[in-house]
Amino acid sequence: MNQAHAAAATRSVTMVRTVIIVATLAAWEALALSGLLFRDVVPSLQAICSAVFRLLTAADFYFNLGVTAAEIGVALIIGGAGGLAVGILLGANRFLSRAYESLVYYLGPTPKIIFFPVMIMWFGVGSGSKIAMGAISCFFPIAISAASGIRQIDRVLIRVGLSFRASTWQMATKIYLPAMRGPLVNGMRLGLGVAIIGTLLAQTKLSNRGLGYLIIQAYSTFDMPRMYALIIVLFMLAVAANALIGRLARSRNS
Amino acid sequence: MLEVNRISKRFTTSDGVIPAVDDISFAIAAGEFVSIIGPSGCGKSTLFNIIGGLVGDYEGQVKVSGDIIHGTHPAIGMVFQEESTFPWRTVLDNVAFPLEISGLATSERLERAQHFVSMVGLEGFERRYPAELSGGMRQRVALARTLASEPRILLMDEPFAALDEQTRLLLGDRVLQIQQQLRQTTLLITHNLTEAVQLSDRVLVMTYRPGKLKREIDIDLPHPRDSEVVSSDAFGRYVAEIWHDLREEASRGIRDDENRVLRARSDR
Amino acid sequence: MTRARFANSAMAARAFGIGSVVVALGVVELLIRAGLINRFIVPLPSEIAAAVPRIIAEENVLHRFWQTTQEILWASLMLAGIGIALGALLYRFRVLRLACETWVAAMAAAPIVLMYPLFLVIFGRSATTIVMMGFAAGLAPVILKTVEGLSGTRKVLIDVARSFRLNRSQQFWKVLLPAALPSVFVGLKLGLIFAMINIVGVEFLINFGGLGQLINELAERYDLPGTYGAICFVVAVSIVFFDLTERIERWLRPIQ
Repeated sequence: MNQAHAAAATRSVTMVRTVIIVATLAAWEALALSGLLFRDVVPSLQAICSAVFRLLTAADFYFNLGVTAAEIGVALIIGGAGGLAVGILLGANRFLSRAYESLVYYLGPTPKIIFFPVMIMWFGVGSGSKIAMGAISCFFPIAISAASGIRQIDRVLIRVGLSFRASTWQMATKIYLPAMRGPLVNGMRLGLGVAIIGTLLAQTKLSNRGLGYLIIQAYSTFDMPRMYALIIVLFMLAVAANALIGRLARSRNS
Repeated sequence: MLEVNRISKRFTTSDGVIPAVDDISFAIAAGEFVSIIGPSGCGKSTLFNIIGGLVGDYEGQVKVSGDIIHGTHPAIGMVFQEESTFPWRTVLDNVAFPLEISGLATSERLERAQHFVSMVGLEGFERRYPAELSGGMRQRVALARTLASEPRILLMDEPFAALDEQTRLLLGDRVLQIQQQLRQTTLLITHNLTEAVQLSDRVLVMTYRPGKLKREIDIDLPHPRDSEVVSSDAFGRYVAEIWHDLREEASRGIRDDENRVLRARSDR
Repeated sequence: MTRARFANSAMAARAFGIGSVVVALGVVELLIRAGLINRFIVPLPSEIAAAVPRIIAEENVLHRFWQTTQEILWASLMLAGIGIALGALLYRFRVLRLACETWVAAMAAAPIVLMYPLFLVIFGRSATTIVMMGFAAGLAPVILKTVEGLSGTRKVLIDVARSFRLNRSQQFWKVLLPAALPSVFVGLKLGLIFAMINIVGVEFLINFGGLGQLINELAERYDLPGTYGAICFVVAVSIVFFDLTERIERWLRPIQ
């Protein structure tokens, strides 16, 4: 395709995007003004925008964001380290893999939030139980990715390393880690996604701080614009964090 | 039967306009087996797609029995170079596909499909899926599928390119047998010298970019032929003669590839 | 290693895995009985085992199970119908795909389930909220995998279709869709698993409906063995569900 073609294609994509966005916003605003739906279920765009503005200028949002980020961060460190260790053991040892891998594999896609009552009993109603929820959530995808990452390594690469008489440390850092970086980063991405969900859902269920708590508080005071504002900001942060990990993976790749 | 009249086709790429096929004309009589041979990159496959009606926007005309055709035509059946069997259909259902499209009743089309499955020698494999077959068997399924639509003209684009030499020779025998049996007008596109001489009544040699016709050689080997023919003196002479013409074109193609690689590096 | 010995060692490893889990439970039981673990935090494994038949008998588990199953069925029907149709739409109109595919991918990365309070306001505390939540959570993979499958169709298969003079709708139903099915099924499998996880999760969170609510209720009653038992039961159910979707996907997947 020549350049004029490509430029035309880009233009029409931009146009389609604009049309979709404008049409959605217009339909939204029309719905909001019509009063067809129960009051405030669809607040006007202006109400949502000013709610976003109020949210982002209030100190309490940043405090709760900080709490949530810290909880997710600790959860990722605990769940990630555990997942990595278990994944490497399962991937490298055939006996352990046969003994325990199906356990990890089948427990992975179960609803984690139902463990929350137990986590409250074990770790209390504070941050402990939220961190535990995030850690349980991200343990599984990271463990599964690490195990399959080790197994996917092309055997010939290992033979190459051995033929050059690489030490164990060199094998680990120069062969194994670079060769399994793709699956590992992917596992981190999945892990981050479910850690966010696990931590925030726990906050909506029982908590007095964090973004999840703010959402459920907006719900119980029926402050719909604020709830929309929270969800919008939260989604943007989540998508941005996800993209950031993807970007990190690519930039180190080249 | 099939007439190609002053066909040219240009492609626009980022490097500018590339003439792929340049002013090609030839005619094939009913029941004749003709091969077009050329180095890779000479526009053979473009010509195949033009005659089959899959590529438009060209100059010149394609005529079937004297009528100019536009786009695909029921008289022309195509066999592709790539793996083209439907992986989700059994051998029999693959072969029955064109009959299903033309709306034949189930029992009748399975019966007809069975006939063509036997013709390519795949009895006993009707219920198998392509994934269970070898590459040669899959190409026979694709051939049977095209034959089942009973085209008057069979168009094949390097159908055996992905196969090993021995399988290729034996499949060639099979194709010749079928062609004799059905008296099918056939145009084979190939880059393989032995294959062209083994199968054809006439070989057309194409030049490397832009693809023009360079020469036409009648293959005067006795019919019925089989792959034993490759050991005869006459066969060797034909191969040598065609190679003499083709060699120059092929080396131009290789030089061109080398230059392209060099340029790609300096662009970066 | 011979085949028989290979199978034997795999069996032995399995047995070791299961055995070690049983032993671990036994150790926990002993530690609790010895008073080293607080039995008001972790109930005896034997009590939990005894609680499972009790809650099945007393808490209307069959009915709850059926409720959750219905919600999952509705969500999966919507996923199959709407998700595949949207995927086909994005494939059909290239501009639309270029414009929207990154949005759908971003949606897959967003914590959709956190919108449940919003769904509560819109649909009320009802099964509709739960079904819609499951649907929303599973939609992105179905769309993405459908588009991927359709656009991954090898060009030569489309050429074959054209050489046999198929019209557009024949091309779609006879060639494109069958060629894309393996990928579509993978998408549906992922979508269904997400839907199931979120349906049970939202039941728990909003205290409404089937199996998820059971756990919430037992926890609020401080029925410790009951809560643990119900969690084990729900985990078992979701493992069976997961295994079932894998089997169905494998069974539907043609030999390709």
